[in-house]
Amino acid sequence: MSQSNTPALSIENVVKNYGPVQALQGVSFDVKKGEVFGLLGPNGAGKTSLISIIVTLEKATHGRARVFGHDVSTHPREAKLNLGWVSQEIINSGFFDVEEILKFHAGYYGVSERADRIEYILKGLSLWEHRKKKVKQLSGGMKRRLMIAKALVHEPGLLLLDEPTAGVDVELRMKLWDFVEELKGKGLSILLTTHYLEEAERLCDRVAIIHKGQIRAIGGTRMLIEEWSRKKVTLRLTEPVQSLMHPDLVKGSGQEWVFLTAMTKTLGELLQELKLNSAHLNDVKVDEGSLEDVFMRLTQEGKA
Amino acid sequence: MIKRRDIRWTPFLTLFQREIQRFVKVIVQTVVTPFVSSTLYLMIFGVSLGSQIVLQDGVPYLAFLIPGLVMMGCLNNAFQNSSSSIISSKFSGDLEDLKAAPFSPSQIIWSLSLAALVRGLVVGTVTFLVGQCCYYFMYGDFMSIAAPLVLFSFLVLGGLCFANLGITVAFWARTFDQMSAVSGFILMPLIYLGGVFFSVDHLPGFWRQISLFNPLLYMINGVRFGLLGKSDVDPMTALAVSLLAFLITLGLALNSLRRGSFQRW
Ligand SMILES: Nc1ncnc2c1ncn2[C@@H]1O[C@H](COP(=O)(O)OP(=O)(O)OP(=O)(O)O)[C@@H](O)[C@H]1O
Ligand SMILES: [Mg+2]
Repeated sequence: MSQSNTPALSIENVVKNYGPVQALQGVSFDVKKGEVFGLLGPNGAGKTSLISIIVTLEKATHGRARVFGHDVSTHPREAKLNLGWVSQEIINSGFFDVEEILKFHAGYYGVSERADRIEYILKGLSLWEHRKKKVKQLSGGMKRRLMIAKALVHEPGLLLLDEPTAGVDVELRMKLWDFVEELKGKGLSILLTTHYLEEAERLCDRVAIIHKGQIRAIGGTRMLIEEWSRKKVTLRLTEPVQSLMHPDLVKGSGQEWVFLTAMTKTLGELLQELKLNSAHLNDVKVDEGSLEDVFMRLTQEGKA
Repeated sequence: MIKRRDIRWTPFLTLFQREIQRFVKVIVQTVVTPFVSSTLYLMIFGVSLGSQIVLQDGVPYLAFLIPGLVMMGCLNNAFQNSSSSIISSKFSGDLEDLKAAPFSPSQIIWSLSLAALVRGLVVGTVTFLVGQCCYYFMYGDFMSIAAPLVLFSFLVLGGLCFANLGITVAFWARTFDQMSAVSGFILMPLIYLGGVFFSVDHLPGFWRQISLFNPLLYMINGVRFGLLGKSDVDPMTALAVSLLAFLITLGLALNSLRRGSFQRW
């Protein structure tokens, strides 16, 4: 089919205009095989627009999207065969039960022997006991899991998850994450959008932060946190001091002082710069930076 | 792991089966309601009013009416099936799934239209059986079918035309009102004026000329020829017009699939 170094998904300079609205302004990135890639951005950033282009619901104004090397606009059927898609909006098909829906969906992708697969997926998504229910008898969280089941039933190579855990409760979200990790273990590549940064931090190998249709940062999840976020260091001193001079100082007086420093700066370096030593310290508290900090920094900048 | 994948027939057959199962699940709406309405038409126009009317060549009005109603039931239901399937999928959002799946446009068209045809044929058959009962009740005998193959061909061509029209209108429509406007203001008048209830020979000259442009006239009379062995229109002309209508509606349906909207309402 395709060489081993072909990315699962390749997005090249994609532009999408809806009339005067520029939803995507030249977005490029790759999702490598077996990778979980997070696309993070505030409401209206263009995440769903990009996914709609990949599944051919929308046409890109410029640029190309390729799935395992197949261009979605010139070879849509080859591209779509390798795709599983979970839309952001909940789908409510009224006539059929969960099992029937999954059988039909597998058939759409040319798969007719599917009982084992359906059982495996329904169990993995805790839907097995609901398999005879119609969609309208399911709760919101179950509907979302049904949509994930649909996207997986034909064993796609690339899964597109547009906010898969919106409206799913905490316990089930954990289960879902485990399931996603299990799938990843089997070699599935995943593009995921989410507003839960904890989810991205836990699941994603790499993330891109998109804002107003442009990618603001892209890289390994850990690396982005180190590069873009600050850690919060709170120093409690043995004796009150009048003032401390340091560019990273945020606030403080007397015995307690708070700094926001680069993730790479060690405590020793900070103390040295402040001309303090451990004898002056009563206590130190360090809050590691998180993806949330990165996200806030990159998406607030544009507003300033 | 998936052992076998067939993207030529499996997607087509799956969607076809889904469409059949859909109308079977709402059988009251899809088959029983047409059964009731055609029974009413037959009782009122065929049995009670029709007994006063005698047409030329001694054909009883009831015998004239039955093929018209059979075709009307077939066309209406083929149209309803494909259009309401697409419209309800637009409401629920699962029409987008068809776009995201690796279907070719003709796979979608043919699975939707053949399933719609099946429903049209079921309703046509039911109407015919009710008609036979009425005929037996009036004349103490059953009607015979003059040319079964001709009858079947016109039902199939007409049913597919209307199924394709249903697909076209449903993909094109952006609101429910547009949908019902097309079926109420365009299709129903064409069907009624196509000679279901009367022979166009009885129309005054001008109106007769106008109705010769109505393709429904040819389809309905094709069915009438198949059942009675005679009709207002030459059967070869009727066949040519119906084939042409089929090709045009197929083109329209394919075009609507490319240009129309899969987006949810
Ligand atoms: N069909 C459409 N017609 C016109 N404008 C649209 C359409 N779909 C999206 N937009 C606009 O494009 C921009 C990007 O929207 P998009 O849905 O891709 O954002 P998103 O990142 O998915 O947001 P969210 O996190 O809220 O889901 C928005 O400004 C939106 O208003
Ligand atoms: Mg979105």
